[in-house]
Amino acid sequence: MRIKLLGWTELVALLLLSSGFVVPVFTRSVLAYSVLNQAFVGVIAAESVWIMLRMNLLSFATPAFMAIGGYTVAIAGQHNITDAFLMTAAAFLVPALVAVPLGALVLRLRGTYFVLVTFVLSQIMQLLIFETPGLTGGSNGISGVAAVTLFGAELGTNRLVLEYACGLAMVATLITGVLTRYFHQHFAGIEENEILAESLGLAVWRYKALGFVVAAGVAGLAGYSLVNMLLTAHPSSFDSSTAVDFIAYTIVGGRVSILGPVLGTGALVFATNLFGTHGQYAQGLYGVLILVVVLAARGGIAGSMAALWRRVS
Amino acid sequence: MDQFVQAALIGISLGAQYALLALGFTLIFGILGVVNFSHGGFYMLGGYVAYSCVAFLGLPYPLAVLVAVAATAALGWVFELFLLERLVDDHLATLMLTLGLYLVISTGLLTVFGPLSMEFAFPVTGALHMGPIYVPRENLIVLAVCLTAIAALWLVLYRTDLGRGLRALADDRAVAMAQGLRPKLLFPLAFAIATGLAGLTGALVTPILSLSPGVGDPVLATSFLTVILGGLGSLEGAALAAFVVGIVEAFSSVYFGGSIGALVLFVLVLLLLVFRPTGLMGRTVRGA
Repeated sequence: MRIKLLGWTELVALLLLSSGFVVPVFTRSVLAYSVLNQAFVGVIAAESVWIMLRMNLLSFATPAFMAIGGYTVAIAGQHNITDAFLMTAAAFLVPALVAVPLGALVLRLRGTYFVLVTFVLSQIMQLLIFETPGLTGGSNGISGVAAVTLFGAELGTNRLVLEYACGLAMVATLITGVLTRYFHQHFAGIEENEILAESLGLAVWRYKALGFVVAAGVAGLAGYSLVNMLLTAHPSSFDSSTAVDFIAYTIVGGRVSILGPVLGTGALVFATNLFGTHGQYAQGLYGVLILVVVLAARGGIAGSMAALWRRVS
Repeated sequence: MDQFVQAALIGISLGAQYALLALGFTLIFGILGVVNFSHGGFYMLGGYVAYSCVAFLGLPYPLAVLVAVAATAALGWVFELFLLERLVDDHLATLMLTLGLYLVISTGLLTVFGPLSMEFAFPVTGALHMGPIYVPRENLIVLAVCLTAIAALWLVLYRTDLGRGLRALADDRAVAMAQGLRPKLLFPLAFAIATGLAGLTGALVTPILSLSPGVGDPVLATSFLTVILGGLGSLEGAALAAFVVGIVEAFSSVYFGGSIGALVLFVLVLLLLVFRPTGLMGRTVRGA
């Protein structure tokens, strides 16, 4: 069995994401920067959802792990630790470590029960943030988070923040891509029929646990990117209802390949911004798109494009 | 002591409301195997329909409540029949469909009624004073209606052929179908009953609490909590758990304040879900 570490879908995804380095060459528009920034955060979060979906598990816990990653960075910033490499590692590792014991507990559950437990997890995280004002600032959050530094230089300008978010999204895509490529057949086996996979000798719990832990780490990177963009860690940024947005990005984009979360996030974040100051109406669009994708176009954007390509060629 | 009795009364009143929501939620899961993410949406819709009937059509409140029940049940019936039915055996797909519907309902209400809360007051005000204990009349009425609805649901499910059919489908769909029961007829009906109950709760409770787009989110969370606690799909469990949740919530808010009570409940539910996924009543109702 030959295992490829990255396929063409991952490379296309990375190429699309690298737009974050290209766009600032052409424009200084604050709106463009803001939309791209939101998209980069969304892509990372959607990739976290997507990793679990590869095993047919729908996770609402993304905001919880984002909060752990985001608050880790904000608290470190209060202690003047701002090094980019160190912070990226911490934002990935701390949520991943928290996910180890949690995964041992919740991965005993399948299907519906898993969905419910992840929903409960993100509610608990919200309440925990409010109940620990000493650590997390409670309902005020932690504001004035120090800008990240790379080799001692502060990444403080809008353009550098954008490029840094872009870099984080590419790192997350690399991690997600390598994980899902390397364990492609294992994940596919679990997705197809978990009981059959287990009876054929696959240590299902091992791969589910690995997926859960990496998905938590990737979500942590999304939280980091969000906090770095806002320079604030606030409970409302990690509200449990945002999980629905990331799920919408992933489902609408398509779950067949990593291009799904990337394209889905790009399309929906762009569409949300078309609503301008009436962003709250975007959720209705998400709802309609979810209905359409589930009923009529199961592959989402990426799947439909692939089907179209096959028909043309 | 007075405070204790007061908290207990609030708890029972909350419990009855939660029971109505949780029964609908668990009915849908037990019979169809669908986790209904749009349950909070039907609650909101019930509230807004009742509000519109009173404010724009000038209907008396009790009639408005009935219209709300009919409207939410009808929407539930149509949604099940035309959309959900096609993918009813796919857990993930039905979950996504109900989530999509919830987003559409809440955005629809936001578009029509705007983001502010409505001025929707319960027609009966005042309170009963029993010595030092003070009970708002509106809570008593809501409690009475909720208990009546729960009793009616029990009668339908356990004393009629329709109820026997529904419970048979929940127990074992293949055998029930072999006996001649038709899911295509009964599923939309079960879904309509459940969404009608959510609509009824919304129409009853939103005048007392508040009515704005977004009130559906906590409703969904509470329904989840209650239903998990009671055991997914178990009707008796849901009713029992609803009163547990209501009473814990009432006592913790009276004695501790803040969100400690909710946190304790959530952690309790998390542990229960992990170590005893069948819930308080301990019966496996449906593999999931």
